[in-house]
Amino acid sequence: MEVYRQEIILGAVFIYMVFCIATGLWAMKRTKSSSDFFIAGRGLGPIVVALALFSSTLSGFGFVGGPGLVYSIGVSAFWMVVISSTGYAIGFFLVAKRIRMIAELRNCISLPDIAAARYSSEAVRFLMAVTIVLGVMGYLATQILAMAVVMQAILSGTAMFADIGLVTCVAISSAVLIFYCVTGGIIASVYTDVVQGAIMMIAGTLILFTAMSVFDGGMQEATSIILADDSESMMPFGAAGIMASLGWFFVFGLGLAGQPHLITKMMMNRKISDNRSILPMSLFGYIMAALLWISIGVVIRAAVVGGVIDPLALPDDAASVFLSVFANPLLAGIVFAGLFAAIMSTSDAFLNIGTAAIIHDIPKAVRGHSVKNELFWARIVTVILAIVAASFALYSHFMDATLVALLGAFGWATFSASIFPVIAIGLNWKRATIMGAVTAIIAALVINFAVQLAGIVPPYGISGGLLSFVTSLVLFIGVSLLGAAPELSEDIEKAMDI
Amino acid sequence: MGKKLIYVILAICLAMAGILIAIIMSEPVANAGGIAHPQIPAMQVGGDGQARLEHIGGLAFMFQTLLLILIICLSMLGVSERYRSKDFIIYMSGTALFSLFCWWMMWSEHRQFMASGETGYFMGFPIATAWQMYGTWLGAIPLILIYSLGFRKYIYTEQDEKDFNKLLEEQNQKPEQ
Repeated sequence: MEVYRQEIILGAVFIYMVFCIATGLWAMKRTKSSSDFFIAGRGLGPIVVALALFSSTLSGFGFVGGPGLVYSIGVSAFWMVVISSTGYAIGFFLVAKRIRMIAELRNCISLPDIAAARYSSEAVRFLMAVTIVLGVMGYLATQILAMAVVMQAILSGTAMFADIGLVTCVAISSAVLIFYCVTGGIIASVYTDVVQGAIMMIAGTLILFTAMSVFDGGMQEATSIILADDSESMMPFGAAGIMASLGWFFVFGLGLAGQPHLITKMMMNRKISDNRSILPMSLFGYIMAALLWISIGVVIRAAVVGGVIDPLALPDDAASVFLSVFANPLLAGIVFAGLFAAIMSTSDAFLNIGTAAIIHDIPKAVRGHSVKNELFWARIVTVILAIVAASFALYSHFMDATLVALLGAFGWATFSASIFPVIAIGLNWKRATIMGAVTAIIAALVINFAVQLAGIVPPYGISGGLLSFVTSLVLFIGVSLLGAAPELSEDIEKAMDI
Repeated sequence: MGKKLIYVILAICLAMAGILIAIIMSEPVANAGGIAHPQIPAMQVGGDGQARLEHIGGLAFMFQTLLLILIICLSMLGVSERYRSKDFIIYMSGTALFSLFCWWMMWSEHRQFMASGETGYFMGFPIATAWQMYGTWLGAIPLILIYSLGFRKYIYTEQDEKDFNKLLEEQNQKPEQ
């Protein structure tokens, strides 16, 4: 079997991609309106929503960057994962019920739609839509690049595709992504997410058992080796230190309820009462899949420190080295398919919300109405957005990584800081004002951009994301309290009373 | 708790902002964010844990304590005021105490390790790290249970469902907004 390792991995990835294309064709028949395209007509069952929610949370970063971070900085990186239970809980307590209610009351198909309905403000809609488009470009570009790099690594290991270029890999992987997103919209995305989520859970569980068998003494031997080399790396705050760790806890924990690609999925369930089962199912799925993040990182760091394998050239090589050295070919095939699943499930969610912002929200905020024939334009813009992001990814790889890095910083932390106060708190606090919302969003954007552009490095590993998040929370509540109490629309006020 | 909850949340956020400013302005500590591993490229080490916590240990402890309380307050904000009953507040307070206990155990075990250099292990990890990993993960489980098991009591009751359906009917009879 070892002789056919590359072929097995290639086969698993190929089967997965064929499945994505088939799902796109199937979902196309069920996509008849822009509401179907963007929010699946609010008709999804709890298992589908739960799996779609957690698989969108864990992107390619979780499968590649996560283990790499554990390898590089030790336990500091655990904080991004262990906060998941709290993050999901806060998201459901603050957002799930009310976002679903307002979505149905006002026929909302996007997060800026919800914000506009809540605040009766096109300015809030516009700012949120612009934030989403900027963030989506950075996220999508990095995801597409990651997908292409992994595909190139797989294909170049076979005799037939030994010399395949990165551009070709970007084209192939983007084509599959575009195909199922354009044909089937969010329906294709969430049903591929279901399979993607299942693959990720299986991969995470199998990897944990494989990782535990690498050292005779199991995980304890691995952690002892790291502890003997540098105790701080294996202690709760890791090599990056206490404030970096606690900052991640804050930004990744509270911030989950501010991620547009995740909370938009809370608008898609058939019944509000399904939320009671969606929360524990999403969390269970995430924990199973995230086992891979921690176990690979710890074992590879211990293996390098203990002299079992050579040091990695890059921390991000941790997952691929683990798979090639310690995993049997079948498991490697499943995990590589899981890796593509993780990247694609996040990418399709971003494509969807980015398209909604461009064809629905920005025109509505500027001209008072969205484009005519939304479904047609949704499909066109999805293609354009993916092509622009893919070009962006290639430009970043071959020419200059600054722009993508800048927009990449517009990722999780900026979404957290700008969207969490406005949506998560705003949907539960009637006193929140338009001025509070606008101030919070602008402050979040300015601080994150300024820190990134000026290359400011706060001491003790404190991140710009943490600073912007705390600032936007204070400004949102403070500015709202300083202004006059807003008058809410009658239906929104009643919904907020329920 | 009612309408004062948002003021509590604001006060906590302001206190956390103050702590962040105090940490940023405190006397810097060498290698606070880690240094390169002496032999292995692309790997970082933490070095002397005691020294890294010297100026900011207490502030960081307060920051996390406030964050854990903030998490509970925000979760409570997501529950309608009329459902924030005595038993609900008791459950949420219990959740807060549980997560604060896990945090305290992690903190004290870490300090004990720094003082003695010795640690036991639990399920593959040094005790302090086990508290961080399993304790933090499990610390929020009561929140999940309150949400799922108490869904029809605190989050969305049968009456809420009827009220919402009535609101939808009213809305459908109106011209589109």
